[in-house]
Amino acid sequence: MKVTLNWLKQYVDFDWTPEELAERLTMLGLEVEGVEKHGGEFEGIIVAQVVSRDRVAGSDKLSVCRVHDGKGERQVICGAQNFKAGDKVALILPGASLPAKPGEAPFTIKVRKVMGVESHGMLCSPKELGLADDADGILILPDDAKVGQSFAEHLGRAGSDVIYDLEITPNRPDLNSVIGIAREIAALTGNSLRIPSVDAIDEPSAAASSESKNSGPECPATEEWIAIQLDSPDLCPRYVARIVQGIKIGPSPSWMRQTLEKVGIRSISNVVDVTNFVMLECGQPLHAFDYHLISGVRSSEANSVDKSTGKPTIIVRKASQGEKFVTLDNREHTLTDQELLIADSSKGIALAGIMGGQNTEINDETVDVLIETACFHPANIRATSKRLELRTESSYRFERGADIGIADWASRRCAALILKTAGGHLAPGVVDAFPNPPKPKEIRLRYAKSNDLLGITIEPAEQNRLLISLALDAVSSNATEGTFRVPTHRVDLKREIDLIEEICRLYGIDKIPGTTPRGAIGENSFDTVHDQLAEVRRMMTALGLNEAQGQTLISDNAARLVSAEAETVFLAHPLSADMNALRPSLIPGLLNAFSHNLHHRNSDVAGFEIGRIFSKNGNTVTEERHLAIALTGLRKPPFWTGDDRTGKFDIFDLKGLVEEFLEQFGIPRIAWIRRPDPTTLFVESAAILLGGKLHLGEIGQLQPALAKLHDLRDSVLIAQLNLDEVLARRNRSKTFKPIAPYPSVRRDVAMLVPESTTHESVASVVRQSKAANLEKTELFDVFRGKNVEASQKSMAYAFTYRHSDRTLTDTEVNTAHEKLVALLKQKLGAVVRD
Amino acid sequence: MSFLKEIEPITSAAAADLAAATDLAALEKARIQYLGTNGEFTALLKQLGRLSKEERPEAGKVINRAKADLESALVSRREELELAASLPKEPTDFTLPGRRRSIGKLHPLTQVTEEIVRSFRKIGFAVADGPEVEDDYHCFDALNTPPDHPARDSQDTFFLRSTAVPSNAQQLTCGADRTGNPLLLRTHTSSVQIRVMEKQPPPVRIIVPGRVYRRDNADATHNPTFHQVEGLYVDRNVTVGDLKGTVEFVFKELMGPETKIRFRPHYFSYTEPSFEIDFASSLTRKMGKDWLEIAGCGMVHPQVFEKVGYDPEVWTGWAFGFGIERIAMIRYGINDIRLFYENDLRFLGQF
Repeated sequence: MKVTLNWLKQYVDFDWTPEELAERLTMLGLEVEGVEKHGGEFEGIIVAQVVSRDRVAGSDKLSVCRVHDGKGERQVICGAQNFKAGDKVALILPGASLPAKPGEAPFTIKVRKVMGVESHGMLCSPKELGLADDADGILILPDDAKVGQSFAEHLGRAGSDVIYDLEITPNRPDLNSVIGIAREIAALTGNSLRIPSVDAIDEPSAAASSESKNSGPECPATEEWIAIQLDSPDLCPRYVARIVQGIKIGPSPSWMRQTLEKVGIRSISNVVDVTNFVMLECGQPLHAFDYHLISGVRSSEANSVDKSTGKPTIIVRKASQGEKFVTLDNREHTLTDQELLIADSSKGIALAGIMGGQNTEINDETVDVLIETACFHPANIRATSKRLELRTESSYRFERGADIGIADWASRRCAALILKTAGGHLAPGVVDAFPNPPKPKEIRLRYAKSNDLLGITIEPAEQNRLLISLALDAVSSNATEGTFRVPTHRVDLKREIDLIEEICRLYGIDKIPGTTPRGAIGENSFDTVHDQLAEVRRMMTALGLNEAQGQTLISDNAARLVSAEAETVFLAHPLSADMNALRPSLIPGLLNAFSHNLHHRNSDVAGFEIGRIFSKNGNTVTEERHLAIALTGLRKPPFWTGDDRTGKFDIFDLKGLVEEFLEQFGIPRIAWIRRPDPTTLFVESAAILLGGKLHLGEIGQLQPALAKLHDLRDSVLIAQLNLDEVLARRNRSKTFKPIAPYPSVRRDVAMLVPESTTHESVASVVRQSKAANLEKTELFDVFRGKNVEASQKSMAYAFTYRHSDRTLTDTEVNTAHEKLVALLKQKLGAVVRD
Repeated sequence: MSFLKEIEPITSAAAADLAAATDLAALEKARIQYLGTNGEFTALLKQLGRLSKEERPEAGKVINRAKADLESALVSRREELELAASLPKEPTDFTLPGRRRSIGKLHPLTQVTEEIVRSFRKIGFAVADGPEVEDDYHCFDALNTPPDHPARDSQDTFFLRSTAVPSNAQQLTCGADRTGNPLLLRTHTSSVQIRVMEKQPPPVRIIVPGRVYRRDNADATHNPTFHQVEGLYVDRNVTVGDLKGTVEFVFKELMGPETKIRFRPHYFSYTEPSFEIDFASSLTRKMGKDWLEIAGCGMVHPQVFEKVGYDPEVWTGWAFGFGIERIAMIRYGINDIRLFYENDLRFLGQF
């Protein structure tokens, strides 16, 4: 909503500077989104007359002049030659600035001394005033220029004004009007609101414009001109019509044009401009029809008067399905039976509350005008406007809820202004179809309730005063509560809390002191989950992984890599095919991140993400928290020496990370079960199981084809874990075990086993052996090649024996160890090497 | 006496050889030559037994002293050589880059979220959470959003696609919950207010960080996915003053102690009165602005309390919410929201 300082001042007095006004409006809840100064570019420049001109001693060019500025004489030095005593000139006063050229700082005039002579101002050239590109000498004004008048006024340019662009919140449709905003200022200042009187038009003598010859004897009452029929009073609860006869279409007067143009409305013609002006003034959208284009109108040629009433009828009805209608902007719309039309007996003439029809548009030949001020249902207007993609100042206001009480005032105001700007005379009376005027709303306010909620004490009298200043009526009031009648324009005031808000707003939120919260202690079962997630993140970063945050929305193509289509959740109205599915896994996002980094010449990435993934089973959507880790490229940061510096990440780097994390986090007994076949995602992979059964996640190497698709050259290792399960299964209990004081004994075994023998099968035999005092088993070498047959490998284990209460003897260790080795030979066919 | 005479030359030779050894290997060789099992000096010791009773004490004394001297010479020479061996051949260039181990970085959004959570926890808030796939009741109706509000439009909100379920004769949809409410991606974390209040009797004191979704095309200031934090405090006698006090505390924690906060009346359907919060600090001045909008807030609307079964006559409360990306962008001077979701290491590494 745009409004200007001068326009506001027509309705309410205030003496704030333009900046103060912006601040006040903002703090009232009308955020100022833009401030634009209009005119005022010749501030401090006035019409003056040269009284005398003399040479400055010692200078060829400079003259010292006495100049009359309308109030008195002053001394000015001038270097120009093209003027004489008696000339009218443009004088800029000290302290004022010349109009700035684009990109330059304005030049400010000061009292200064030139060759020892003081100069109190400057005579301006057309160039200095920005009126010409080049100039020879100063600007000489015509003889009839008024000395002392501001230069801007002399040029006939409007005085300065300030235009505010305000953000109006959707709950306050009443603020989409200059009077609405002025009302807020009146409430804040305590000054009265001046609403233009419209009563005068009821008096027959005043019904015509000032040119009384126009008030012909025969002007039938409005009800003889038109009838109104409301077919859908729920969608159009009120329709007011007035007729102005015998107008002359022409341009608007300049005050009207300027006012509209300043707030961004193009001037069209006097009648149309008036409808726009009144809408901006009071918030009520209006429409003017050319009366004679409405079917059923009496005319000398046609006798097409509606037989039943003897006059045309405006019917407010729903369109029929498929009905065509051409709006003012020359667009043809095909309507549905949900859309509301203003119609005559044969056709639609306006799209209710949105835009008029081309068929009844005001035109240069229009002589009689029908003024419509109506009220329409917000949701219906919004739906139509949206479906037809037709948004207007009118639909904008009706969508938010128009003031049902203002329709007649707006109609009178419009009529009065048409009479003033387009002549004609007003048909007496009005047709006001308003079958069910709503009962005035009354709201009870408990004064203590406001104070309790705001945390301060505002006396009842003050609370009353604040509400009354907003045009609410105090119906009754006692020491503890009051009842207030809400004016029709305040559609947002519905219950007590809404009144408390008004009190808070006018009292000033800045005057309410902040207090720190007391009382309750926060509690929520998620709280510890949040901390555990943070703990996982910290562990991941300590392991050298960078945290990523991927998009939740990914493409169906990416989703297909990790999830069956039937289990993927899709959007109904995606923005694009790149973002049409909810991620079923974090992996596609990590791959994108890797790919992005690679394209920016970083092929070594170790990253993780913690986030939600989505799946569906039938029609149940499930959200789970996952952790995904991915590695590619160099294992270590760059270094300048050593054979291991070029080592690249392999699957055991990743497994080591996951093992370290799970162990530190408190997830014991993990099984890694190799999948026999490649998957869509992995060329080789394993399931990560807890307790041999529960699926916690998976780990593997990305299919090289997919890596290539993302331009990733090195192996990409990926793991993902279901964090919800990890958190649920976490064993956080910790018990101190005394540090063993007795020495341990280590026995190494290197053995040849078939290639198919897994570490787990060795570990399993070791567990089976229940070797006495065996504390730890550690694999320290796996070897293939020299002296080992092709189908075999050598595995070397270190077994550590220790007793918690005493030093073990050699014999004890040997007995246990020999039993263990025997079992390895027997179960695994191991050949123990010496 | 010949035995005593033999001691001196062997001892001298041994001492000379030990001293002459230039590395540990040479020293070891010398040790074996004289003091090893078959060494020359050891041979002398072995002869001691063959001496007469009269000769033995004197010889023993001499030879033991010689042995002690040799051993101490050996030890000190070994220490010298070990020290020499441990010294680098060339002086170390301490300006060479070290062998780094990298610590991973937390995502800047995580870091900011954690800071926000920390400041709220100082004043007794617990973290709460809710689903990102919501129904329109929790996202809109319960929050007093009118049925025809633009936010509920498929232009602005992501609804899930409906799918027929073959096993059921009736067309059921994935886009709807059991009672037929359409499913959508939550547009704000405020839906969690409702879920928490439905489950938990008052008082409530929670914050909710999380992802939210709006149907905006990605540009420098928009991403369809972004993060919000919501704060909710419900108790007896909660006031606008409490809201102001808390907001001031939290933003001073987040943006620095010289931060100024301003409340402006505004409109949100689920709070009344509602405010927008502006802040001013050196950060806003750097951006050439007196005030910068940072959050929305207000007193919980009685209608919202009624929906979750709280008595608005007994309980009052406030809620506020703000965007985490916005905070991070202001704090770090990040000019494009999309950077958060690209996960470029050159970006992540800076925080």
